[in-house]
Amino acid sequence: MTADAMTLEMPRRARLSFGRFLALLIIALLVIWTAVPLFMAVMWSLVNPDDPWSPPAVLPPSLSLAQWEYVFTYSEIVKAVTTSFILAPIVTILSFVLALPTAYAIGRFDFAGKEALRILILLPIVMPAMVIAMFLSRVFYGMGLSQTFLGLVIGHTLLSMPYMLRILATAFEAIPQDVIDAARNLGAGRLALVRYVLIPMVLPGLFAGAVFTFITSLEEFNLTFVIGTPTFQTIPTVLFDYLGYHFVRTNAAVVSIILMVPSVALLFIAERFLKTEYLSSAFGKL
Amino acid sequence: MNAAQPGRMMLMLLVLPGAGFIFLFLSAAIAMTFLQSIGLYALVGDSRLTADYWLSLLDKGFLDSFLFSLKVGVGSAFGTLLFAYPLALFLRRKRFGSRTIGSIIKIPLFVPALVAAFLILNVLAFNGILNSALIGLGLIDRPLRMLNDTFGWNVLMIQVWKNLPFQLLIIASVLESIQTDIEDAARNLGASPWRVILHIVLPLSAPGILIAVVLVFILTFGDYAITRVAGPVYPSSLSVLMYTDAFTLQQWGIAACIGMVIIVASLGFVAIYARAARVIEGMGR
Repeated sequence: MTADAMTLEMPRRARLSFGRFLALLIIALLVIWTAVPLFMAVMWSLVNPDDPWSPPAVLPPSLSLAQWEYVFTYSEIVKAVTTSFILAPIVTILSFVLALPTAYAIGRFDFAGKEALRILILLPIVMPAMVIAMFLSRVFYGMGLSQTFLGLVIGHTLLSMPYMLRILATAFEAIPQDVIDAARNLGAGRLALVRYVLIPMVLPGLFAGAVFTFITSLEEFNLTFVIGTPTFQTIPTVLFDYLGYHFVRTNAAVVSIILMVPSVALLFIAERFLKTEYLSSAFGKL
Repeated sequence: MNAAQPGRMMLMLLVLPGAGFIFLFLSAAIAMTFLQSIGLYALVGDSRLTADYWLSLLDKGFLDSFLFSLKVGVGSAFGTLLFAYPLALFLRRKRFGSRTIGSIIKIPLFVPALVAAFLILNVLAFNGILNSALIGLGLIDRPLRMLNDTFGWNVLMIQVWKNLPFQLLIIASVLESIQTDIEDAARNLGASPWRVILHIVLPLSAPGILIAVVLVFILTFGDYAITRVAGPVYPSSLSVLMYTDAFTLQQWGIAACIGMVIIVASLGFVAIYARAARVIEGMGR
């Protein structure tokens, strides 16, 4: 009996440890795949200019903050960070105000043309941004909006509001009608319904939408490049300068980190609101 | 859905702020592209109806750029799938390490495109860590020249790195919606795990694969920043060609034609995407 159980157990355990081995292998490869590039960027931002990092050495011989000092002293980065962080909150709030009623309608009601509406809302996310940016800039040129802050606000809102809309709509959709009916049956008025049912149930979606909108604006490059520069620089346009026209690896490393840290930090804070369904409603579904 | 369905007027008012804003500016941009491509509304020089700009696309430069963009789009979409699908299958069942894998793999999703380009360029640089590692392992004698190659390998590498989490999320959510009954039945009837994947899971997840592939294709086909930074000097991608025509050569009419080509291609693929999405929604019910 026990011998029988043993022989039955053996292959199962063998397969189990194979699964474990595979999982560990995938984890190791993924760490190399994601962490090594990030680590190298941090190293490049800390290179000591008096003690250069040359090929055979895997790591820089000594570290310093000289590159950071250089970027902060001689580049437009301080102005760019300021512009980015004024622009992104304005865009997020404007997106919320515009998206709220539309998301409510899409999430709660059935009506003719809803599918066309969903496709329209998807378009700013999937249409190549450079075409939109260049020819919106022609439209703005005629309206006196190119090279203006208002132009940037409108353009950024066009490209980032869809995230707010889609995620909020998913959140509204997810509220079971039973809950609303129950609240009504228990005598909840319109205000009580909004305050005690709708708002608490939509709040996580609102946070997720706001985070995505904010980050999209922070990372937006094409439109700012065409409509804003040279009058307005944001962090991505400064990075593009260092990557394209005057490629300086150490400076690009510093600006990359400046651009990346807020996004990663925000997503870390918002992680518990970022359910997979919101992520997939932002990208995957119609 | 709701017991209290509002009237038409009320619905219109609700839909207008968000959808109206998008419709207004998006259609203005697309209309401007179209009008300038046929010579109207030119902001510099004369405006006259002409097909000259369209005819000027019939040269080798445009064709090369078109083929290059197509290659980058298709290559990125399927190159990413090559990693994303097996990973999604592996992560499908809760098992040892699946949470860790799931969270590590999401990291590039939160890395801006330009930063991703920089990160991968660093790794691929002539004296970068990949070359050092390959030499260290004794696989090559001299560093390989991988940057700004004419094929665009580094652009593909960057796009795969950046888009892997996208595809994984999409495919994982579709795999989740496949009911396990069918698989269990097949297993009970003696099908091997490979047969189950090949004959049941793969066909049922086909619409999801289509969505994942089309999405990455659209996002990479019209890309400007990454190909500008990491791509070859010639051929350039369509978006880079369009930008150069407009801002360097002041040929906005030709740029508008290229813009129209990009817009029409994207809209065509959005239509495919929408169809596939509808099929998936039908499956979920």
